[in-house]
Amino acid sequence: MSATKDNASHLGNTPLHLEKLKEVARKELPRLLDTVRGKKGLVLDPQLTGPLSLIAEFTLLKDHGVEKIYHLDSDTLDTDCASLIYICRPKMKYMRFIANHIKQLSQKSEDSRTEFSLYFVPQRTRVCERILEEQGVFGSITIGDYAMDWIPLEDDLISMELDPGTWKEIYLDGDHTSIYYAAKSLMKLQSIYGLFPKIIGKGDAARQLADMLVRMRREQAVVDEVSSFTSSKQPSLLNSVSNHIDQFIIIDRNIDIVTPLCTQLTYEGLIDETMGINHCFVELDANLVNPNQQAGSGSKQTGPNTQSPAVPPPVTTTPNQSGKKKKYVLNATDKLFSQLRDQNFAVVGGVLNKIAKRINENYEERHHAKTVAQIRDFVGRLGELQQEHQSLRIHTGIAEQIMDYTITDEFNSILEVQQNVVAGVDGNKEPDYIEEMINKQKSLIQVLRLLCLMSLAQGGLKVKLYDFFRREIIQTYGYEHIETLHRLETLGLFTKRTTATPSRSAFSQSRRLLRLIVDDVNEVRPNDISYVYSGYAPLSVRIVQCAMQKIGPGSLPTSGPSAASLFSYVGGGGGNNTNGTTPSQTNNSSGYLNEKRPNGSSGSLNGKLNPNPGVTVSNGWRGYEEVLKLLPGKSFEITQNVEYGAETNAAMARARRHGMQHTKTTVIFFLGGCTFTEVSAIRFLAQHDESRDYLVATTQMINGNTFLEPIVESIHKESSNHGTGTVSGNGMTQNSSPDL
Amino acid sequence: MTRKQEVYSLSWDQTDLSKFMIAGAQNGGPIALIRDDKKVLLLQKQQPIKPTIYMYTAAGKLIEQIQWDKGRIVSLGWTEQEQLVVVTEDGIVRLYPLHGQYTQFSLGKEAKEDGIIDCQIWNTGLVAMTSRYQLVSVTNFYEPRPKLMAETGLDQEPHSWTVIPPQYTLSRHVEVLIGTGSTILVVDSKETVDQRLQQGPFTKMAVSPNGKFLALFTSDGKLWVVSTDFQKNLSEYATKSKIPPQQLVWCGTDSVVLYWDKIVLMVGPFGDWIKFSYEDPIFMISEIDGVRIMSNDKCELLQKVPAATEEIFKIGSTSPAAMLFDALDHFERKSPKADENIRSIKTELVDAVDCCIEAAGFEFQHYYQRALLKAASFGKCFLDNYNADRFVEMAQSLRVLNAIRYYDIGIPLTYTQYKRLSPEVVVDRLVYRNHHLLAVRIADYLKVRSDKILIHWACAKIKSSSEDEDTICRMIVEKLIKKPGLSYAEIAKTAYNSGQTRLATKLLDYEPRAADQVPLLISMEEDEMALMKAIESGDTDLVYMVIFHLKRKLPLGEFFRMINNKPLACSLLEVYCKEQDKELLKDFYYQDDRRVESANVILLEGFEQDDIAERISKLKIAGKTYQDDKERAFEAKGTEEGIKLLQMQQQLEKDTHQPFTGLSVSETIYKCTVLGQQNKASKVKSEFKVPDKRMWWIKLRALVEVRDWENLEKFAKSKKSPIGYEPFVEECIKAKQYQEASKYILRCDPPVRPMLFVKIGAFKEAGEQAFLNKDMEGLKQVRAKCSNHLVAQEIDSLLAQLSAR
Repeated sequence: MSATKDNASHLGNTPLHLEKLKEVARKELPRLLDTVRGKKGLVLDPQLTGPLSLIAEFTLLKDHGVEKIYHLDSDTLDTDCASLIYICRPKMKYMRFIANHIKQLSQKSEDSRTEFSLYFVPQRTRVCERILEEQGVFGSITIGDYAMDWIPLEDDLISMELDPGTWKEIYLDGDHTSIYYAAKSLMKLQSIYGLFPKIIGKGDAARQLADMLVRMRREQAVVDEVSSFTSSKQPSLLNSVSNHIDQFIIIDRNIDIVTPLCTQLTYEGLIDETMGINHCFVELDANLVNPNQQAGSGSKQTGPNTQSPAVPPPVTTTPNQSGKKKKYVLNATDKLFSQLRDQNFAVVGGVLNKIAKRINENYEERHHAKTVAQIRDFVGRLGELQQEHQSLRIHTGIAEQIMDYTITDEFNSILEVQQNVVAGVDGNKEPDYIEEMINKQKSLIQVLRLLCLMSLAQGGLKVKLYDFFRREIIQTYGYEHIETLHRLETLGLFTKRTTATPSRSAFSQSRRLLRLIVDDVNEVRPNDISYVYSGYAPLSVRIVQCAMQKIGPGSLPTSGPSAASLFSYVGGGGGNNTNGTTPSQTNNSSGYLNEKRPNGSSGSLNGKLNPNPGVTVSNGWRGYEEVLKLLPGKSFEITQNVEYGAETNAAMARARRHGMQHTKTTVIFFLGGCTFTEVSAIRFLAQHDESRDYLVATTQMINGNTFLEPIVESIHKESSNHGTGTVSGNGMTQNSSPDL
Repeated sequence: MTRKQEVYSLSWDQTDLSKFMIAGAQNGGPIALIRDDKKVLLLQKQQPIKPTIYMYTAAGKLIEQIQWDKGRIVSLGWTEQEQLVVVTEDGIVRLYPLHGQYTQFSLGKEAKEDGIIDCQIWNTGLVAMTSRYQLVSVTNFYEPRPKLMAETGLDQEPHSWTVIPPQYTLSRHVEVLIGTGSTILVVDSKETVDQRLQQGPFTKMAVSPNGKFLALFTSDGKLWVVSTDFQKNLSEYATKSKIPPQQLVWCGTDSVVLYWDKIVLMVGPFGDWIKFSYEDPIFMISEIDGVRIMSNDKCELLQKVPAATEEIFKIGSTSPAAMLFDALDHFERKSPKADENIRSIKTELVDAVDCCIEAAGFEFQHYYQRALLKAASFGKCFLDNYNADRFVEMAQSLRVLNAIRYYDIGIPLTYTQYKRLSPEVVVDRLVYRNHHLLAVRIADYLKVRSDKILIHWACAKIKSSSEDEDTICRMIVEKLIKKPGLSYAEIAKTAYNSGQTRLATKLLDYEPRAADQVPLLISMEEDEMALMKAIESGDTDLVYMVIFHLKRKLPLGEFFRMINNKPLACSLLEVYCKEQDKELLKDFYYQDDRRVESANVILLEGFEQDDIAERISKLKIAGKTYQDDKERAFEAKGTEEGIKLLQMQQQLEKDTHQPFTGLSVSETIYKCTVLGQQNKASKVKSEFKVPDKRMWWIKLRALVEVRDWENLEKFAKSKKSPIGYEPFVEECIKAKQYQEASKYILRCDPPVRPMLFVKIGAFKEAGEQAFLNKDMEGLKQVRAKCSNHLVAQEIDSLLAQLSAR
């Protein structure tokens, strides 16, 4: 079935031990709960329940005196708990809620004092403190921090699980808070694994992040010094270069906003598109998860991880007209899922079939078991088999549900529009279809996804068309969307055409240069990352390939079938410099030797006297300047060095000569979120690269809907109040739209 | 076996310790005294004079005196950082470092109103008792949050009380033990539990240094030791005195020492006891491995003799270590017995050496330290491969200990305490006492980081120096430059606080951490610089800090001017305002002439209004503001339309008594159609120039929704559909009205008809249509989908016909 390693989605034996990251956050939690004596109620930021349930079970909370769990989603709270612990992100809205709770509860009963504590994730902010102050409750609440930096979703995927909207915050609001948080979290990562020897990136926010990392490294030296006096904590590795990580690639979401707008076509991606995956959990019909309502017995067999989201109980079952919903965890503990997740959905049916047959055969083996030993052997495997059976049933169920949607005309039309637009077809059919969607009053997000995609791919819409759609939208979805359109314009998502022809747009040029459209895609035996979108290779991951020097630069400009061979480089293993233009990325010259500053045009640090010892900046990306120039933002490459003593240097050189270095890991960080398909594409690269492991890190997981919602948000409430039945939105958007 | 060593002979001028309120810091720390006005008044019937708090080292050297001018002091104590804690009657807590400025906080409303009658202090926190017997706890002196504990229910002063510090309780929260009546109450933040004891009243109590045991003195003169959870009875000892002792303290964790006037009684774990007598009043300080006794002429250490020491020095001991020690003596006297001794313990020599090393650690006198180490070293010679790490470590530790025990320094730290504290803490303590040079030497000797010492030194230098700023700056930087990454903020702050602003600015330039620079810059009123540094750091929270500060401080115009040319600051202000302060946001946009943004805000504000008149007026303003920008004609026009729509909707609501506001144009038409108001729908359409295509879709969906098939048909026939007839079919199918659907299929284009028929299950018609189209492929598909046997046959024949042609 697969041409490569068997357990496809797993890096399995990564030397990074991501469990460490989980432990950091997990250990902190009991300490925080114990600050309040006795029984207590926990009030959680709804956005944090998911991440929290990934790092701690409900029993852990219970063991530390948590009796009740509430969601922080309204300004009233009815509780009889004598003490409340809030855990939330520092959002102004929450502060108003909390202030109201405090006022309410202290008014309700004069004599019984409720105790309040508040923990900010990842840290307190002055804005929030100020609001509490303004509301006059600052003195009655104990405030602390809970630095929950990284949530390992998978062996090869860690996420900060910020709220979706990071990209919008940075590029629309100009609020760089999440860049700062990212820098902090990455420092944590570096303190555990050592400094990234090389930081390479593209995009303005990415550049800022890198600068912050360099700056923080300098500042951290002070903090370390001070803290080493008071506490002898785990030593940080910030003064040595990582042994395990060879480079750190920052992909600014801003360089590729096309990809998230496309419908993801891998199995996991489609689950996300149709049902929505929140922090690894997907909500399924309860009878799909537990068919015979034999509550508990089924879940025990599937192990602790497969379906005990546990935190918190109030959300595990939400009443719905289609029966009860149950949360089901999607990660590598489910073996079958890890086989399926990265496959193109077109293949999934076949795989499921095959597995069903195999399981059946395995069951049949019991008839062949003759001797006691054989029977015992069979019984021994029975648990595993049943578990597999159970997960097969669930995935068949999920696949059917997805299929129900993918066979509709609507899905196929949308897909066709997408594919045409991305491939550079500039016809009438696509606008016509979008118009029809508006006329049918399909969900605005769905419409905007297509419109923005078209605008981006073609460098804006023709003025006439642009004006037409703007009018259609505000008349159909309400005049409040004047502002939405304004935002989309500011962000460059939906604009008037400025270039003469669509083929001059940045996207179509990079489509050519990076060969984003691959016609001969093979979904069953993928030979290129483009399989994840059935023919479109995500731009972001192509850039990753550039950063890894995995595409021969000389052959790039050619396109069409003749260039098919160029992707043989993808599987070519590390450091195969096929021609002289590939720069020798000299990792092995330590000290300050990496003084390569080619054109000095980019990077504010260039030209000035280098203020950061141990850091070299160049703009890197040799061989790809042309493509990178098309995309927004700066490109850069920073080498981080540490001055070791002569002995250490010699020892390290010896180690290198003798090939004692570990397999290195390349960390790819998506600033502004990444999609499941992008992860799949990177896994594909990983499978074809024996020389290194890949770790994807991201601010959050996104898809087209969660990507656009924060931009459209804040206006939705009005129209949904009047349930006239006109807002017919398909299941897709209903699932992932923010619940009120 | 116990021993009492004289550590220092004191030459302080305090003669009658009984007249003082005294607090001694653990681990050989300083002691503080103040004349106890209660005792003084009682004895001398004097008017209270302004009292002085004296702080002495354990060697009796005066560190500092504080003129006390506040209210009556209830209790004294020491923190971990060797700051003196002074608690007054009116609930004020002051923290005095050994040198320098005090800080203070209040214990809260209850404490202030009712007054504090007593207070228990441990090294990180305290519990105070008010005159109404309420307990107030503070668990962290540096972030004090006074908390009322559970009601005690007391109505009279307890016989005695004490606390178990949080680090020793099961719950990790402080617990208070109160002796009242014949029982003990255990109080924590949530509840009060009566232990229901009969043995009381307990007139004195003390918790052991590890928090596990409780020593109680009963009114009938019994000393009773129980575990602090009251589950285990450990020992009981009857003294002959019914008068409670003046002090009851633990000596290490296994013995208890009681002090009455002139008599010290030490009671061991098995009822064994020993008595000492003193002529003058004394004060005892409990240590983790003994009791420090301060009298008017000496400082002594009372402790159980350590096992290693006992092994060597017990009279007639023949343990290997004793033999080794003896051997050295013989060796030095050139006696052959030395060899004999070594031979006799050859097999146990390693233990003997270890034992000697260990014993050396327990000695205060250099002579014995040297002798024991020498013995160990001598024994080592006879061992082939002995790991000398312990020996080296001990020699090193003793060197440090001797240095700090030196009279001038006066920290009588035992080896056990040293190991517990860690070298870093020892260095810190020297720094608090301004012994910078020794601290640096020790830090270098032990390879501990010395940055903090340097910073403290620099601060002290600034405070005491009278030289000009440039010289001081040069002096400090010269010393500190060798340590990269050292924090200058604290030094700069000291400079600023002592009025040397220019020096502060200069020093601050060396500070690598923005988070430390910014607050200081703010307090130095270097506002612009503070804002720039904050922005540079990328820490948005820091930027907010400056913004809020500026907002509070400056007039609005000046405030805006300050942030205008700093994009990050502007953006952050906008983000904050959007949620918290719309008015400020509008002012901000107005002064910067950002019309479109202004309009956007007002527009959204309008849509948030529930009152329609309000909404319209807001929209009007927004519309006007859009008009100011030629580029924004679309927005201006849209807003105008929006107002028009609202007005129409108001009319519609009056006419139909149905809610309309909030609906979009399309939704309004839809609703009109649903309500059967076709004319009104058309009016809206023409008013807003809705394209025919959309109009048809809306009407189609609305009519299907209300299942008005008659009107739907009429509508379909009204003129040629701009959207074709397929949508009609599809919508009917969605509504499961196949009959209705079929009406429109024949109006669709011929090629799509067969499949539409298939969708409603009309295979016969589907087949016929495909046949008419001469669509072989289509016909085959129909055949494949067909489930009806009879129809299938017909189709087969059609297929045959078609292929025949």
